[in-house]
Amino acid sequence: MEEDTILDVRDCAVVLDGQTLLSGVSFEVRKGEALAIIGPNGAGKTLLFKALLGLVPFRGTIAWRPGLRIGYVPQKFPVDKTVPLTIREFFLLKAKRFWFPDQTFLKHLSHELSLVGLSQEVLERPVAELSGGQLQRLLIGWAMVDHPEVMLFDEPTAGIDVGFEETVYHLLQRLQKERNTTILLISHELNIVYRYADQVLCLNRTMLCHGNPHEVLHPQDLATLFGEGGFYKHDKKAHHH
Amino acid sequence: MTRKPTIIEMDLPLVSSLVIACAVGIASGGIGAFIILKRMALVGDALSHVALPGIALALFYAVDPFWGVLIFLLAAAVIVWWLEGRTALPGDALVGLLFTTSLAVGVLAIPNAEIIHSLFGEFSELSLVEFIITTSLALGAAGMVIWFAREFLFRTTTPDLARVHGFGRWFDLLLLLLFALIVSLGIKLVGTLLMGALTIIPASVAKNVAKSMKGFIVASIFLGGFISVTGLFIAETFSFLPGPSIILFGIALFLISLVFPRSVRL
Repeated sequence: MEEDTILDVRDCAVVLDGQTLLSGVSFEVRKGEALAIIGPNGAGKTLLFKALLGLVPFRGTIAWRPGLRIGYVPQKFPVDKTVPLTIREFFLLKAKRFWFPDQTFLKHLSHELSLVGLSQEVLERPVAELSGGQLQRLLIGWAMVDHPEVMLFDEPTAGIDVGFEETVYHLLQRLQKERNTTILLISHELNIVYRYADQVLCLNRTMLCHGNPHEVLHPQDLATLFGEGGFYKHDKKAHHH
Repeated sequence: MTRKPTIIEMDLPLVSSLVIACAVGIASGGIGAFIILKRMALVGDALSHVALPGIALALFYAVDPFWGVLIFLLAAAVIVWWLEGRTALPGDALVGLLFTTSLAVGVLAIPNAEIIHSLFGEFSELSLVEFIITTSLALGAAGMVIWFAREFLFRTTTPDLARVHGFGRWFDLLLLLLFALIVSLGIKLVGTLLMGALTIIPASVAKNVAKSMKGFIVASIFLGGFISVTGLFIAETFSFLPGPSIILFGIALFLISLVFPRSVRL
């Protein structure tokens, strides 16, 4: 592995119950880079993330630089309505001391909350009472609170209002610039990919393209990836069900 | 062979029983909070039935039934944990089958005279050593639950995120093993049939009065001790069996907790 390589994936495949859901995925991510993963629904994008995080068994090699802290913002976060967990306690899962947390952690916490547009009053509220958009903000704040070197975002703007979408992408840029965070991002929005990503990886059960978005994303590729009708039409459909 | 002095002979039967009831109640309340969150309340109930073949085997070899119960329950905890990992199998159905089998085997194998006591609990003569072991194991288990509260909570609420942060399934196993230990300790107190309930009731009451996770765990621990001690006291006063007295007192508190005002929650 080279000096500034953070993640090295070689010929990764995921086979579950005898079905090959993902195969032939190879790429490398360097420190501070932003990699966008695009592809239609069911292409295996989330599955690739889960393999990277060791949550599903895989074949091939996935090598992270040792000792990395990873932040993960899942697309779905099923909250059990009966769990009385408050937002403060949700964050305390990441604190060294759960019962008697130190003040610096709590101060830092309110700072990170403000970055994702949540006020401090929200801390005492149960996680189960948050709306979809607030929950998404919370998950982003939660993932970045301990300043991980790498963050994985699984469609971070799905289910949130349009105004916040921009905030999220500005936040991603800030993380990249100020904290030199490496970002892996699953996204449906091509303009985001063009604007923010250093690398793009097109996926549909297998890796169809990989490289600089301006070089590898040709209309022809997108037609192959998303089928006839193009990307945006598909995108709309995806957001309406 | 000289007999060890029993608590009864020390003329402190009620006090020592109350101390054990308090310690076991505290431990049951603590672990129960997580068992409820994991939606394993009935698995716990079934788990306590595994104690019966353990009791039978211990009686057969003339050793303290506690050890038979403990070994069987720890083994059962490992089996439950293993089954949990096999999501393709209908886990609860298998768990149910396994444990009702244990119940049937146990009832056939335990001598009639011992059945009622095994099922519903009693305070048999406890030696001083047994008293100290039971009490310290119970308090030790409660301490472990509090110490690992963050890890257990992490695993229970968001298993995927917990895994990403390095908290794997081993913590689920630790939780189940502690659960098995506490159930083994409690079986002497309330019996196999009701021990599952002793872990569920304090946590259920606590959930009705708590508005945060910390409040929930602390209230469950406190209520576990309170329900056990008060229930036992009622049993001694009216010459009832301790198990049903403890459970029914707990249920009474549960009914009260249903109308507990939201504004004063913990």
